[in-house]
Amino acid sequence: MNTFLFRKFTPLAALLGLGITACQPDLEDDFKPNKGSADFSRYIAVGNSLTAGYGDNGLYLEGQLNSYPNLLAQQFRTAGGGEFVQPLFTEAQSNGSGYLRLTGFTAAGTPITASVPGNAGRLTPGSAPYTKVTTPINNLGVPGIRLADIHTAGYGNVQTTPLNAATFNPFFERITPDGSNQTYFQRVKAEAATATFFSSWLGNNDVLGYATTGGVGGIITRTDSFTLKNNRIINVLTANGAKGVVATLPDVTNIPFFTTVRVADIRARFKAANSALDVYIQTTGTAGAQVVRLATDADLLTLPSSAVIGTTTTGSPFPVGAGVGTGVGQSNPVPNQFVLDATEQTAVRTATTAFNNAIVTKANEKNLAIFDSNAFFARVATSGITTNGVTNTAAFISGNLFSLDGVHPTPRGYAVIANEMIRAINSKYNASVPTVNPNDYRGVRFPQ
Amino acid sequence: MNLKSLLLAGGALLSGTAASAGGYQVTLAGQKNNGMGGVGVGLSLDQAAMFYNPGALAMVKDRGVQVGVNLTLARNAFVAEGGNQQRELRNSYTTPLNFYAGFGPAEGKFRAGIAVYTPFGSKLQYADGWEGRTSLTDIDLKSVFVQPTISYAITDQLSVGAGLVVLAYGAVNLQRDIALPDSYGHIELDGKADTKFGFNAGIFFKPSDKLSLGINYRSKIDAVVKDGDVTFSGIPASFSSRFQATKFNATLPLIATTSIGLGIMPNEKLTIGFDASLAQWSKYRVLRFDFDQQINGSTSSESKRFYEDALTFRLGGQYKLTEGLTVRAGGAYDQTPVRDGYVTPETPDNDRLSGTLGASYTFGKFGVDLSAQYVGIMKRTVTQTELLNNGTTDRIAGTYKTNIVIPGIGLNYAF
Repeated sequence: MNTFLFRKFTPLAALLGLGITACQPDLEDDFKPNKGSADFSRYIAVGNSLTAGYGDNGLYLEGQLNSYPNLLAQQFRTAGGGEFVQPLFTEAQSNGSGYLRLTGFTAAGTPITASVPGNAGRLTPGSAPYTKVTTPINNLGVPGIRLADIHTAGYGNVQTTPLNAATFNPFFERITPDGSNQTYFQRVKAEAATATFFSSWLGNNDVLGYATTGGVGGIITRTDSFTLKNNRIINVLTANGAKGVVATLPDVTNIPFFTTVRVADIRARFKAANSALDVYIQTTGTAGAQVVRLATDADLLTLPSSAVIGTTTTGSPFPVGAGVGTGVGQSNPVPNQFVLDATEQTAVRTATTAFNNAIVTKANEKNLAIFDSNAFFARVATSGITTNGVTNTAAFISGNLFSLDGVHPTPRGYAVIANEMIRAINSKYNASVPTVNPNDYRGVRFPQ
Repeated sequence: MNLKSLLLAGGALLSGTAASAGGYQVTLAGQKNNGMGGVGVGLSLDQAAMFYNPGALAMVKDRGVQVGVNLTLARNAFVAEGGNQQRELRNSYTTPLNFYAGFGPAEGKFRAGIAVYTPFGSKLQYADGWEGRTSLTDIDLKSVFVQPTISYAITDQLSVGAGLVVLAYGAVNLQRDIALPDSYGHIELDGKADTKFGFNAGIFFKPSDKLSLGINYRSKIDAVVKDGDVTFSGIPASFSSRFQATKFNATLPLIATTSIGLGIMPNEKLTIGFDASLAQWSKYRVLRFDFDQQINGSTSSESKRFYEDALTFRLGGQYKLTEGLTVRAGGAYDQTPVRDGYVTPETPDNDRLSGTLGASYTFGKFGVDLSAQYVGIMKRTVTQTELLNNGTTDRIAGTYKTNIVIPGIGLNYAF
């Protein structure tokens, strides 16, 4: 019987071992990366702060490492992509320009942030410059640049007498040789000469500066100028046959910078203190006159207004934002630079639409992939986006997608953007570039 | 979430054992049957008839004791939608057991017996850091049913039988990661099911030596977990106030099954069986967990299952090669109860095809039964679009493929 059992079991055990090995399913062949008709061997990224990896009101090493171009390049590598060089801050200077961090919440639940000072130089136009990176680079994202600035000579060459602060960009200076007056366009042209693939996301700042200052600071770029410069940059990027993806501009009124501080909430707060109080704002009236009026729910208050509203002002019986009427001395209105009223919102939306028309028209002319970030962020603002079972929304702090400045994405937000671009690229070039798992990238960092 | 996971766990168990009809029903109940594609409703092979069709027990000539054990080895591959990285399980196994003791007068019309079997159970441990970690990281579901049974032969051709089904032991352990803004925490739900009762009844008709028919019904039992333990780990102090629950309640329907079976015996050596079963999975609508305190702002969680009834077809036979040696073969086709867009990591299910082999050798009153099964669960893809359309984004989009190997051995003694 023992012999029998042994005879019986030995082949069975062998069979079992084979069976288990053969049992492991293999799906990898079904999902092999493929470059399609694109060539990712040298990819360059053109853009502004979003492209640089800016977040939490600063550019620092962690943000650079999680920039969407870096994520794209990492994914392109599975489909023939090459090396991707970014002008990274060193470990020793990893705080970069400085940034905001979350330190906690007030009893009422309002987030408290603190500034982490920069340690890479150039804290003001007068201080020492950032450590330069003048070697060939792939990520040409320059925080703060407008499409309107691409032909500005000396954009990365600081002048002291007189100080050219209005037309000088310290982040472009980082990637510009000493004493060079080269324009952003010229730098892009040099890198584009050898590029096989590009991403381009320029133009956000051509409307953002106006919006974030409540229509007081910054001007909206003229559409004809925008269109001309957009055409030029796309022409130079495609001059050598490179393929690429371009992004449209999101409607900035959907971002937490404008949606977190709400008139209705402020009104409720004031009325809880004194039912006679209401919310009053200062706006630009006809012919540029400053007028005071009752705020409506259609008025957008900026994120920085939260630090001002409700504080006391010497000489006024009302806290900032409160009042009982529009007459002189009857209110202490929210200053104009914190308010984006209906007229200003219309100006922002009209410009965004016109700019996007120019971007899409040119992209279609060159048969490029298009990431419609405007449609995407509108969808996120309405219904959020679920990434592998995790819910993300456009809400400030809790939504995971927007960093502490309320404008720029978190690493999670950049990962989501990278995935949307990959989808656009895959669709346009019949490629199979794998997406990233956005949940591997953080939302807002909380105090430990 | 816990209840949902529990339900899902059941499904995984089924797939893990794979001999049965999708969901979390397992028919690894008899080692002879296991070698024959799982047929048994229309046959009267041995004491395992108590599970397959209590009505056939009175027609089982021998009285005896038998015990069997199976080893389920599930291997799974997963690729998230849009990704290219294959995830594989941290491999584990389960050991579904069965035990039967049948008694009765040698020539009498009565048979009585007791059956112990493990109709539900599953264990899946997903890869560390896998894309679906916030849906599920680990599931371990166990159950033991005890079934006192009586059977009576009304005539030489017709017999009936019934058993009281006792959910004697049920345990669930579900774990998943919790997505925090900048890190992951972890939650473990661990509980035992209340003892519950159901029944298993059947009719067996054998109009000739060459033909037999059977019908069997197993009732639904709701597995109820009360005051299961909720344990959090890795939650930073900033978030701990949002994860306060310590206890959970959940209910998992262990659904009813109706089966018909046919046996054909062309000669004394050859037996062929065919079974068809309807599993009433449509009772599984949602998986709900209730917590004693809030978890991230809510004291309950509910997840859509919306299963649908599923059919299973089995075909198998045995041939008596010599006086001592019998060989078996069979196969089965199981429809999945999981609809498109509702696939979960707990039950990465689809239609399944299985093939089985078996052999028995008897030495007088002793016998040894060997069986081996290979179950292929078809590739299943769930897309993010489907999840969005169905409101089921609490799970992950991607493609699953699972295969299962199940060797088994049984010993029996007839008296």
